[in-house]
Amino acid sequence: MRICRKLDLLAACLWAGAAVAAVAVSDSLLIRTALGAPMVFLVSGHTVLRAIGVRTGSALQHFVYAVGASLAAGIAGGFALNAAGSLTPLGWALWFWGVTAAAAPVAACRRDTPDLPAWPAPARVRLWQGAAFMLALLVATGAYALAVRDEAAYREFKYTAFWLLPSASGESGRITVGIRSAETQPQLLDLEITLDGQPFAIFRSLTIAPGESWAREIPVPVLATPQKADARLYRPEDNRLYRSVSTLVPRI
Amino acid sequence: MLMMPAHFTPGTRINPLQAGIRFVSAVIGPDLRGGSADTPPQRANSGWIAVLCLTVATALLLVVAGHAAGRRGYEVAPLLFWPGIVLLVAPTSLRIAWPTTARGERVFLLFLLAEALFYCKVVYSPTSFIGHDEFLHWIAADDLMTARRLFLSNPLLPIGPTYPALEIVSTAIVNLTGLPLFVAGTLLLAVLKGTFIGALFLFFESITGSPRIAAIGCLAYMGCSTFVLFESMFSYESLGIVLCVLIFAVEAASKDLVGRERLKALGLIALLLMSLSVTHHLAAFYAAIYLGAVAILEALRRDASMRSEARIAVGFTGTLAIALPILWMEARGNHLAGYLGPIVETGFKTLLGKITGAPNSDQLGAPPQPLAMRLTTLLAILLLALGLATGFFRSLAMAAPSDARTGWRPLQDVLGRRWRDSRLVFLSLLAFGFPISVAFRLTIGGWEIGNRMGTFVFIGVGLVVGVSVVHFWEGRTRRGWRRIAPAVALAVIVLGGVTSAALEPLRGRYRVAADQQSIESMGIETALWTKAWLGAGNRFTSDRINRLLLASYGRQDVRVKIVEGVAPSRVFENETLGPDEFWALVRSDIDFLLVDLRLSTAPPVLGFYFEPWQRRGTPLSGAELLKFNDIKGITRIYDNGWIVIYDVRGLHENL
Repeated sequence: MRICRKLDLLAACLWAGAAVAAVAVSDSLLIRTALGAPMVFLVSGHTVLRAIGVRTGSALQHFVYAVGASLAAGIAGGFALNAAGSLTPLGWALWFWGVTAAAAPVAACRRDTPDLPAWPAPARVRLWQGAAFMLALLVATGAYALAVRDEAAYREFKYTAFWLLPSASGESGRITVGIRSAETQPQLLDLEITLDGQPFAIFRSLTIAPGESWAREIPVPVLATPQKADARLYRPEDNRLYRSVSTLVPRI
Repeated sequence: MLMMPAHFTPGTRINPLQAGIRFVSAVIGPDLRGGSADTPPQRANSGWIAVLCLTVATALLLVVAGHAAGRRGYEVAPLLFWPGIVLLVAPTSLRIAWPTTARGERVFLLFLLAEALFYCKVVYSPTSFIGHDEFLHWIAADDLMTARRLFLSNPLLPIGPTYPALEIVSTAIVNLTGLPLFVAGTLLLAVLKGTFIGALFLFFESITGSPRIAAIGCLAYMGCSTFVLFESMFSYESLGIVLCVLIFAVEAASKDLVGRERLKALGLIALLLMSLSVTHHLAAFYAAIYLGAVAILEALRRDASMRSEARIAVGFTGTLAIALPILWMEARGNHLAGYLGPIVETGFKTLLGKITGAPNSDQLGAPPQPLAMRLTTLLAILLLALGLATGFFRSLAMAAPSDARTGWRPLQDVLGRRWRDSRLVFLSLLAFGFPISVAFRLTIGGWEIGNRMGTFVFIGVGLVVGVSVVHFWEGRTRRGWRRIAPAVALAVIVLGGVTSAALEPLRGRYRVAADQQSIESMGIETALWTKAWLGAGNRFTSDRINRLLLASYGRQDVRVKIVEGVAPSRVFENETLGPDEFWALVRSDIDFLLVDLRLSTAPPVLGFYFEPWQRRGTPLSGAELLKFNDIKGITRIYDNGWIVIYDVRGLHENL
């Protein structure tokens, strides 16, 4: 049986209004996603489709066309909002509300607006079938969660990053030295800094745990000519040079 | 056994040549009486759907386990991943292609299969975009969200700003929902995948009148090398091809409409064509070819009963499809020739070189793939070729007037420009593009053309294979092997789509210059370090992979040229920095060079470290990469043992 009333248009307008309100007052991802995503993918396109008066023969056809029309409305919105300098969350919410609110009365007022297509008859689902479907959903979601966890947990390369910069805070007369460990074990390291080849600072027995960073800003004299600062990292266990970095100390 | 005319029965004396001709004629001929296209309408079988959902979920679990094992380099990885893919594809494809499956069930299972294949793409990298093209659009979308302005330049994809629709829609989702860009983009792609399959099904159903042919056509389309990965990427083609097929579906569904109803459909088509024009150049080109060709065929068609209104509508649609992309390109400045021109030129040159046996036409061999994958792809191609051979004339015969469907008469009608539907004629002819696209894919230079062609050509291939399966292979009886073999063949074709989608669809350990196989956490963390400690917007240059990471995670201003005429490869290659390269660096505005010492561990998997046209078969040496250590004015500010960052700002002070 075909749906001949135009309650869908009223519902679309209310949905669009709720989406504007959610964007304006709420930071909740859940609420904003539940209201906003259908606006981008379906609701606006549905009303545009109804306003144009395109007749659709099946629910599948209606949904597919509505997604297409929604995407078109969104793309047009990008250009319109760009021209208005309003590519902001509220700008987008108002755009989709505007499209829906403008299209719905057109669809409601025109006499030849086609009825919505009939919904397919609901399939009879037995208990075991419903349970199998839910289990499938659970397994697929769980597998995705596992993939996310595995991606975050696994590192192919274990490394210690070492750096020396003119000044992280932008102040002249300072250099910044830093170490970050992405190893699996804590690292014991010695650090030496030289300025134009002369020993300048030493840090002994720095212990850096996996995932930990260590950084220091060190004051250095500023001269009329640029000086070269070198930093060397040693591993006390084998007393071999492990990393070496350098930077130029800006002149006055 | 194939269906044979009665005169082949034992005891009849016939000339062997005639028998051969008749046999070939029976196999490839336009006979449509092999089977009625569809069974009477029936309800979807919830039991099958439930079982297949559970099977697919189990398959996805195996795929995820395969990726996890692959990351660690375990040998068991392929034994988890590939059975997972087979379990995902085979039962669902068999059920979709089964002759008695209900329309609703076919549609549901097509959605299930398409989304499950998309899931496989996403779990390769479940928390971030990883494909080369995905990075380019991610950078553009990030820029759009930051600056809240369109048409910002993108040095890694100069043509990108002209086609900003994907970034517009994805940032609209981000703005409305507050979701991170990756989640919003993935949600968009999932919706696009479903919409694509829905639109393709409706399109095939509109022109053939058969849900069974439509479903089989969709399955055959999944055998396209771009379906599983390329059209699932966060890239403008993924949106473009959906709009393109949607336009085809709306246009085909409106073919019998008259008066205002036709005008309304035209309104929707115009809206979609406008969107497509600003979405993707090639997809807009496909739409222009299809709608233009249909308009020309309609004009050529001899049919007294055809209304001039219908001809005008089709002609208008074709004109619009051609004019809108051209107008948009002119409005934005035509960068397309510069972007696509070299690809097309190289592709054709390489293919012609291959055909004529010219030396150096394709110096470096294609990157290797496991033998089983290559065999599956080959088998899928052979099955598709068989489907095309047995379906081509039948598809053309379907276009002939319905009163003339015996023997070769339908084809005489088609040759006499009497056909029912120009769409069927064009799509049947379009399928001829398949062997051409395969030929292009056999060369490195032409691979990209073949790949892109496949996206469009497979619409025709899907139709012809669908007609072939229903009207020839399954035949009238649909018992025994006639039930099983075509369905198994279709499952192999879909598997071929997976094996041809990427060099290695299974996640593995880091590989040198292999696009998504080269993206891993150390490179990402180094890019993030540049943002945290050097700030965003520094001018960097590096190899292709690290440029992507620096521009996306690091938000750095990456350069693909040192100065005009000097590519980064000239600076990084060679053991000493020549005077030209040194002075280029001095004159440039480059702040930092990032050197990845892993490049010295193996030759580039894809054949190049920097740009596709700078192919190289040997690895860079450590001396080449570390030559900057001893150059006055250059300091080595960062080192993690594998990745080194050089500060070259001191060079500019020497000017």
